[in-house]
Amino acid sequence: MNVLEIKNVTKRFGNLVAVRDVSLEVGKGELCAIIGPNGAGKTTFFNLISGFFPPTAGSIAFDGRDITRLATHERVTLGMARTFQITEIFPELTVFQNVRIAAEVAGGYRLRPWINRSEAAQIHSQVEDTLQLVSLAAKADRLVGELSHGDQRAAEIAMALALKPHLLLLDEPTAGMGDQETYQITQLIRRLHRDSNYTIVLIEHDMRVVFHLADRICVLDRGQMLAQGTPQEIAANEIVQAAYLGNAA
Amino acid sequence: MNSAQTRKLITLTAIWAVLLFAPFWMLPLGGYTALATRVLVLGLAAMSLNFLLGFTGVLSFGHAAYFGLGAYGAGLTLKFLAPSTPLALVLGMLLGGVCGALLGALIVRRRGVYFAMVTIAFGQVFYYIAFQWSSLTGGDDGLRGFSRQPIDFGLFQIDILSNANNFYYFVLFCFALMVGVMGYILRSPFGRTMIAIRENERRSRFLGIPVERHIWIAFTLSCFFMGFAGALYALVNNFADPRGLHYSQSGDFVMMAVMGGMRSFWGPLLGAAVFVVLQDYLSSVTVNWMSFVGLLFVLVVLFFPRGLLGFIQRSKA
Amino acid sequence: MTQLLLFNVTNGLIIGAFYVLMALGLSLILNLSNVINFAHGGFLVIGGYIAYTITPYIGFWGALLLAPPLTAIIGLIVERVLIRPLYGRDPLYSLLLTFGLAFMIEDGTRFIWGPQGKPVTIPPFLAQPLSNDLFFITGYRLFMVAVVMIAVALLFVLLRYTRLGVRIRAGTLDLETVAALGINVQMLRSLNFAVGIFLAGLSGVLAAGQLGLEPTMGTGLLMPSFIAIIVGGIGSLPGTLAGGLLIGVASGLTAVFLPAASEAVIYVLMAVVLLLRPRGLFGEEGMMT
Repeated sequence: MNVLEIKNVTKRFGNLVAVRDVSLEVGKGELCAIIGPNGAGKTTFFNLISGFFPPTAGSIAFDGRDITRLATHERVTLGMARTFQITEIFPELTVFQNVRIAAEVAGGYRLRPWINRSEAAQIHSQVEDTLQLVSLAAKADRLVGELSHGDQRAAEIAMALALKPHLLLLDEPTAGMGDQETYQITQLIRRLHRDSNYTIVLIEHDMRVVFHLADRICVLDRGQMLAQGTPQEIAANEIVQAAYLGNAA
Repeated sequence: MNSAQTRKLITLTAIWAVLLFAPFWMLPLGGYTALATRVLVLGLAAMSLNFLLGFTGVLSFGHAAYFGLGAYGAGLTLKFLAPSTPLALVLGMLLGGVCGALLGALIVRRRGVYFAMVTIAFGQVFYYIAFQWSSLTGGDDGLRGFSRQPIDFGLFQIDILSNANNFYYFVLFCFALMVGVMGYILRSPFGRTMIAIRENERRSRFLGIPVERHIWIAFTLSCFFMGFAGALYALVNNFADPRGLHYSQSGDFVMMAVMGGMRSFWGPLLGAAVFVVLQDYLSSVTVNWMSFVGLLFVLVVLFFPRGLLGFIQRSKA
Repeated sequence: MTQLLLFNVTNGLIIGAFYVLMALGLSLILNLSNVINFAHGGFLVIGGYIAYTITPYIGFWGALLLAPPLTAIIGLIVERVLIRPLYGRDPLYSLLLTFGLAFMIEDGTRFIWGPQGKPVTIPPFLAQPLSNDLFFITGYRLFMVAVVMIAVALLFVLLRYTRLGVRIRAGTLDLETVAALGINVQMLRSLNFAVGIFLAGLSGVLAAGQLGLEPTMGTGLLMPSFIAIIVGGIGSLPGTLAGGLLIGVASGLTAVFLPAASEAVIYVLMAVVLLLRPRGLFGEEGMMT
């Protein structure tokens, strides 16, 4: 069964059609990259998947369940986690506290006015494991707002991971980063995909990153799906060459 | 135990020591026990408001309504229902909390200034009810004709009516109870979702927190605490005043929280102490105390926006 | 009965006209600068007392022309000195500041002019009732409504056809883009604030002629103006206009049938509107408020 099945979604804002009749299937363990020029509707498409707003037409299924009309937090509860192009974190809390909130919500404790010792210990070790995974364990007690851009992004990914998601949506994970940081985040995503077997959909501008990571690439242009295929197929595709890769490279 | 924890423990011990011995150290400084009691009750109100304002990041400018409802709830209970102080407190708290819960459901989708505006306007609804329904509430004159009753333990009674010190310690006990509950909630997983919402609403939503529902719960809890503080205030004065529900009273509460330091748990208590003592002093020396209180608002906003505790913390750092 | 009804509806319309003037000013400032101006009622009082002070020298007409711009200048200074440092900070701070300012203005006017009501003399021909049957419609009341109508019309012309107005409207929708276009946002906010305070000053002069002056009169008009904005839909000036008239007439009508509830009715109206249309009558769905 596919983790994500998107059928013919369209999103209109007034007269503007931001996404037109796009379909996409993402299988378990797959890493799918969405590319396309600015204004192609990539982020709108992401917002449709994560429930920022409902589509004008079409349907979205997650783990075989129709989620087209579900609110954001309900989708998250079902196992969909997301990061943003501009990092969304809790800047005045420590790295540990940031991730702990995610872990507690995922553990079903969000409405609880108490937490007992064993539950707290379990959350604690889960947070530590997650921080280990994103190489932030040494900075657990630092305020997130004081970290470097790359570390903030890693903290945001850690929060998403603490939700134990079946699907990870990453919106331009390397946006605004230098080569060193880009390399580190790319390695992290690669580890998550190869070693921990996460299903990932990401939007990315950096073609080196895309071709390095992706099992499959989808090209959006002016709200429409121009092509999808393996990195080799996309690299060889003449329409894509003409529309996008040619002038981006 | 690390040094931060040690410092925290020392601070806590100091705060409770100051509160426990207030009737003794206040007199030599020219204070009186009833003033300390008022500070405690208004401080509890400011802390209740700050539970929402400082820890969930939601600006209610109509919280006096729930304070006043608590006061009327307690007063009406004592006057018409039963001469029981604990019952008065419980029913006052319920009246404030339930009204807050109902109104909260109507307005949680609003944010920022719009939330503030709608809370002000709805707060005034309760003010008008208290003002107009004279047959029940005494209207403009306020609700009179009741007084706090001795606390009955079966074997013995504690007189809190005529003995100011006994009453102070009764209020301190209630205060400790409420503040304890507040602190407990703030350190719980639910409390951490409140702080998450304050820090970043979008991120909270994308962690799976139904933000509106959590804001509603925080608003409702805050109104329960506020109702309790109001009920205590009715016991302090043996009187409930419609002006206690007015938005200008809400402004005072917000001011206490801001002046003390919104981001700290104890800040609003300090703010309340300074505000009450200052108001007490100003109204005794000048008829134009309103101007000075107004000026205080302006100065605090312009020069001490992080409040006294925020100011101290910053200059240490 | 008809006469009573007519009397109260007229009354409601006139009160509504005041609400509209006040609420439009508040709304302008709220929409562009995200500031709830608690001192708006205070500026109304300042406008009234300026008129009272200068009427003996330049007459009612002179005061009507001069008092609103003088109030606006005071508003401009207040904005420049006190409110400007608060833009971009939590709206809580501007709210608290103007709240304190309202205290100071109320107490200050009491200190300068005394707590008693002060009458502003209006020209005799305006004080005459229209006829014996319609004794309650004095010329002054008609005149007030006319002035309010002209002021509102001019405001909408300003917003639609002048460069300043177009910029204000654009800034209300998206201040960042306006700033990116190289428009001086600080100046825009100042002028917008001044326009809002001008309207408050104008209401002050008109109110002084009708009701007499008291230091507390501004505070009394503040809450209905808030409700006018909420009922009309926050963010919409036509909504504010409709909201002000609606609650004015509603409280006028209630005064006929249930006098005790004439003030409470506007709150009931607000609750009903918010239940049925959470964004107010003219509020746009999907707007992120």
